[in-house]
Amino acid sequence: MPELLENPIGLILIVVATAAIFLYLREYNKRRKLEVESDKFLQSLKEKGWETLHQSIKKSQDILATSELEGIKVVADQRLKTEKSEEEFLNQSKQTIISAQNRLLAFMQDLQKRSAEFEEAQKATGEARINQLFDRVETQLADFLVQTAQKTTSSIELELKSTRHLIDTYKSEQLKLIDENIVAMMEQTLDIVLAKKLTLKDQLDLIYEALEKAKVDKFVV
Amino acid sequence: MNDILNTILKDTFSHTLLNHRVKLLKSNLLKTFFGGASPTLTPSDLNWLKSFPESFYRNFNKDNVYQIFSDLEQNYAKLPILTIYLAFEPDEATVANIGAFTRKTFGLPFMLDIKLDPRLIAGAALSWKGVYRDFSLRTRIEEKKEEISQSFKKFLRQ
Repeated sequence: MPELLENPIGLILIVVATAAIFLYLREYNKRRKLEVESDKFLQSLKEKGWETLHQSIKKSQDILATSELEGIKVVADQRLKTEKSEEEFLNQSKQTIISAQNRLLAFMQDLQKRSAEFEEAQKATGEARINQLFDRVETQLADFLVQTAQKTTSSIELELKSTRHLIDTYKSEQLKLIDENIVAMMEQTLDIVLAKKLTLKDQLDLIYEALEKAKVDKFVV
Repeated sequence: MNDILNTILKDTFSHTLLNHRVKLLKSNLLKTFFGGASPTLTPSDLNWLKSFPESFYRNFNKDNVYQIFSDLEQNYAKLPILTIYLAFEPDEATVANIGAFTRKTFGLPFMLDIKLDPRLIAGAALSWKGVYRDFSLRTRIEEKKEEISQSFKKFLRQ
């Protein structure tokens, strides 16, 4: 003990260690208590949860049952409605078909009537047109015959004119040919006769004449 | 040179005759100067050679004969040629007459080239420097064709 008094540090350490142990033990007790309370709380929570779950299951089963009942009810209603609407639709369709048939018949009758009218009108128009055409053909034929007669006459006149012209040309050509032949014959005659009849002096005289004419014409310069 | 050519041309009028006579004179002179065979001469050729006076022959000697003929040939090649077409074939004398008349008429020292054309009937046609003109009786008849034809027709109608 006197040793402890002599050494305060050891004393302090012992005091601190004792305080620490004391604090630890206190803390440990606190935690034990807290754990026990927590467990209790959790247990209560669990029980509440289970109860809630049971209640929920029960409620959902009730809802399901109600829903099924409602569903069956709705399906039954729907079937009933469908059958009813089908019947209505059939009735309406029958009426529509009957009405359409009536309309078609009426249309067909109208069409027949119109067709007959159109045929009549066409027949009348066709007859009128044919008559018109015949009239026109007659007129054109008459015109054509008149024109042909005129053309034939003018063509014959032209032919006659051309033939007359040809005859005239032929005549003048022939006369020209005869003239040329006369001159050619004359030339030949002169050639034959003069060649024999011309004396050398005559020939020379003609040559001198030719040379003098060339001089007068200044042909040789 | 010109004297020699003028002497030859005095009685030579056609181009063919000039050629012949120059060759004849040349061969005769060559024979005289250098000897050799005598050329065959016609009486006409002989007369022509004799027609030259002695003085003409004195122009030639052994030394200048070739030169003179060379110059002569060159000179006469330059002479203008008048082509005359005739309706008959003239003899030498007729050609001479025509040549003399032509030179007298035109006064030019040209050569004649005589050609035959029986279609001319009579008279002559000339060709000078590439231009031909017919002065013959045929052309005269052709010119008066219409007149003659009319007269002939009148005659036929009478």
